[in-house]
Amino acid sequence: MQSVVKKLIVRKYRNAGLIAGLCTLLATGQAAANGAVGDHVNHLQDHLGQYTEEVNWLVGKFDGVVDTYEEKGQKATHSDSMIEFWEEVDFHSAIETNYVPVYAMIWQGIYGVKQAIDAGAPVETVRAEQAKLDQALWQALGAVKLAAQYQQKGLLAKIQTTEAEPTTAPETLEDIKHRLDRVVAKYAEKLPDAATTIVHDTYLQRFEGVEGALIEQDANLVEDLEKDFNVTLPKALSSNASVDDVRQVVVAMQAKLDKAKALLIEAEKDRKDVF
Amino acid sequence: MQRRTFIQALAAAGTLGSLPLAASRSLADSSTNSSFPLSVDQLPPLEGDLTLYLGRGEGGLYENVLEAIRKRNPKLNLQIRRGSTAALANSIVAEAKAGVRRADVFWAVDSGAIGLVSDSGLAQPLPKDLTSQLKTGFQYPEWAPVTGRIRTLPYNTDRLTEAQIPDSVMALADSDLSIGWAPAYASFQSFVTAMRLLEGEKATADWLRGISKNATQYAGELGVVMAVERGEVDLGFANHYYTLRLKSGKPDAKVDLAFTKNDAGCLVNASGILALSEGDLPVNFIRYLMTREVQSYLATEAYEIPLVDGVTLPEGLPALETVSPPKVDLTQLADLRPTLKLMRSVGVL
Repeated sequence: MQSVVKKLIVRKYRNAGLIAGLCTLLATGQAAANGAVGDHVNHLQDHLGQYTEEVNWLVGKFDGVVDTYEEKGQKATHSDSMIEFWEEVDFHSAIETNYVPVYAMIWQGIYGVKQAIDAGAPVETVRAEQAKLDQALWQALGAVKLAAQYQQKGLLAKIQTTEAEPTTAPETLEDIKHRLDRVVAKYAEKLPDAATTIVHDTYLQRFEGVEGALIEQDANLVEDLEKDFNVTLPKALSSNASVDDVRQVVVAMQAKLDKAKALLIEAEKDRKDVF
Repeated sequence: MQRRTFIQALAAAGTLGSLPLAASRSLADSSTNSSFPLSVDQLPPLEGDLTLYLGRGEGGLYENVLEAIRKRNPKLNLQIRRGSTAALANSIVAEAKAGVRRADVFWAVDSGAIGLVSDSGLAQPLPKDLTSQLKTGFQYPEWAPVTGRIRTLPYNTDRLTEAQIPDSVMALADSDLSIGWAPAYASFQSFVTAMRLLEGEKATADWLRGISKNATQYAGELGVVMAVERGEVDLGFANHYYTLRLKSGKPDAKVDLAFTKNDAGCLVNASGILALSEGDLPVNFIRYLMTREVQSYLATEAYEIPLVDGVTLPEGLPALETVSPPKVDLTQLADLRPTLKLMRSVGVL
């Protein structure tokens, strides 16, 4: 099992996007939605052993649920217990505060297994979903280990347990991207209303503040994002789309937000001084 | 019927509206006092600890102003708490009830939140020499409007001519024009509040019902302006700067601005600031926002309307003497509850 973890970590090191994501997410600060964030998230290195144990424990517990399904059938299987196991561990907030996209994948994996069981799917189908879940858990542990290294080197800002307000347009756009990750996470958690609320709040509390400046740079881009915020994404969330489909919408929006960020950074260079 | 439009106004044609003289002067007269605006060079340096509660504003431009003030005043220890304007106003009131005061100054993006705080008796009086820098009609004893914004009717220039647009906002409810609006948007709700104060509950309820028959709803007012430009609707309700910014980025945008006359449809609302603690520092901090430099910066960069005498308007905004806003005490816009109740009762929220 350790070799799997190492491979995943190495893969993650090669993944510049993930590294950039870790840096950004930790720097912007955030609060977890599922209960209080313990201070352990600011001491990741000290808790890596605990997190590793928890991931092993989770993999075993999830495996036990599927074993029960395989051996005793659907009625004897308590698929809801998978959610309880996941919410019980500190690792939950460690990944939620470090890399929300993988956090969303874990929820997606849990519900993949749970729904397959609840639907009475063949064991092979359930095992396939379980394999995806396990992969997401190990990927998450890799991400937390990477974050711990950055934290040790002092490269990451302390994670805030209360929400921090972005103060510049580029910060705001990064914050929006992060909130969109949370939309996927909430949707994967089977909380579409919560996901929709995040979209709505993000539009009114964040995007509205930057779109005036952005429209001076690229009106078509603002038009696209307006449609994404107000039509495309809410529609995906309300139409029982798959988590992958919602993620696809979000990823496309994040690419547009990156373009917006570049435009606004460039525009800021030409902005006159106040005094 | 005289109609005020973006293009017309650029040509500087038109006469003063039907307001009483004082109110008309409020926007028309930009050179009443030749000693204003002050330059930042005329102000004393800021020194000491100051906590500012800052309502979310124009995407970082207020932050640029604050950073510039910091740089200019290295002995100023400025702490900033940021949040939504309404939430911060409620926090200030709640903190006062709990016997604490954390904020020395409150800078809000809308005057309604200012009213909430000042009505609670928490605002310190401002010196006359400060408030007198502001245009007539925008001088209040306990708070200072910083910049303004006008309610407008952005309209699609392919679908409408100016002659088809009533110059009465109330008359729009009886028209067959398709309309874009954002009822959940704070500025729209302030506009409805002004209408409620000016026209009464029943007339406002009837107006909302009438408009809603031909209205398409959008989440925000930039969305309204863009929908107008696309031709999804004939016209919309929005603050002026969305159209100016769209035209700045897309000069051939098929949208122009029209103004109603002397009613809530051309309300001028304002961001504002007040001092919560006594002493020179909060007041002198406010003076920095009244300077020519800050007022000009917000006018050119954020398209906001400078409210200190003698500062040039943002490019593309009609000469203000062609606009005749209603006379409304902006702090009366604080109580949104009756407005929200009314909007819910007629089914637009």
